[in-house]
Amino acid sequence: MVKYVHFNDPLSEEMIRFLEKIPKCPGTCFFMDINRSTDIKYMGGLTDWGRKLNNTFNNLLYANHFQHNIVKGIGDEMMLFIPDTQLMKKSSNNNHFALLEDIYAALYLIKNHPNPDLFLNCKVAIHYCTEVYNITFFKGANDYYGSDIDLTARLMTKSIESRIVLSEKFYAKVLNDLVSLGLNEKTGCLSGISEKFLENFKGVPTSTEYRVIDVA
Amino acid sequence: MELIEQKTEKCVIVSITGRLDTTNYSLLEKKLTDLIDNHEDKILVECSKMDYVSSSGLRILLMALKKITLAKGKFVLCNLQENIREIFEISGFTNIFEIYTTQEEALEVF
Repeated sequence: MVKYVHFNDPLSEEMIRFLEKIPKCPGTCFFMDINRSTDIKYMGGLTDWGRKLNNTFNNLLYANHFQHNIVKGIGDEMMLFIPDTQLMKKSSNNNHFALLEDIYAALYLIKNHPNPDLFLNCKVAIHYCTEVYNITFFKGANDYYGSDIDLTARLMTKSIESRIVLSEKFYAKVLNDLVSLGLNEKTGCLSGISEKFLENFKGVPTSTEYRVIDVA
Repeated sequence: MELIEQKTEKCVIVSITGRLDTTNYSLLEKKLTDLIDNHEDKILVECSKMDYVSSSGLRILLMALKKITLAKGKFVLCNLQENIREIFEISGFTNIFEIYTTQEEALEVF
């Protein structure tokens, strides 16, 4: 349940007490961006780019039950967050491996559709977040804040067209699921996962480990 | 999900029952790959009892279509439930797959 943070007094003691009581909300954060979406706005009119954005967002979200987890859209980039408590209750995509597989499949369908004029290729970053809070500073909004959300956005800088960047923390969750499901670690899209990379992202005090999967 | 394979004079009918998603798409992938590898390039997928399909399931169908098209065969679907048809529309599949309302209609095209 989102907590609305709003206190008029910048030195409010009550605000400190309120913030101290807010629980963490672990879950999976995705950033999805449409590639070259700015280019097409200069090249074509609304009927061209509006149609392609409609088609692409639908394809990413609806078959995979993600439409209820959109936190916000900024331009052509979407942030989705699935709290662990919600993930386990989902009828489909109720583990981290399944989430990854269907994201991969959605990108595959876009990249490999015989009509290249219908959809736009996408890039994705995924991170398993523990440092995250379900709070908002704006009345009526639902949002998630925390250093792990910021890190997901940083991971996005490593993604390119038809690529999924996943943090090592998310990959560890996927591997746990594979063990539980009795599957080997090269199952499905993981057959194409990269070795581990290390990056020092701006503002993040420690190095971040991540891997990439390029859609075939 | 359950898969039933039935060979007819015209084609192989693969009937899908239940949910086609990340937990079981590999079964359909194996079934279709085995058929194609054995030169069965006329396949009808009967979907009347398929009540859900995720992107992972759609991916396998698209992969099969590409392979069979290359082999100059025929890959046809029939009897899609309304919710499945909606997902096919969203994915732009209704324009690239041959889809028929009944199995009888579908069998006539082989």
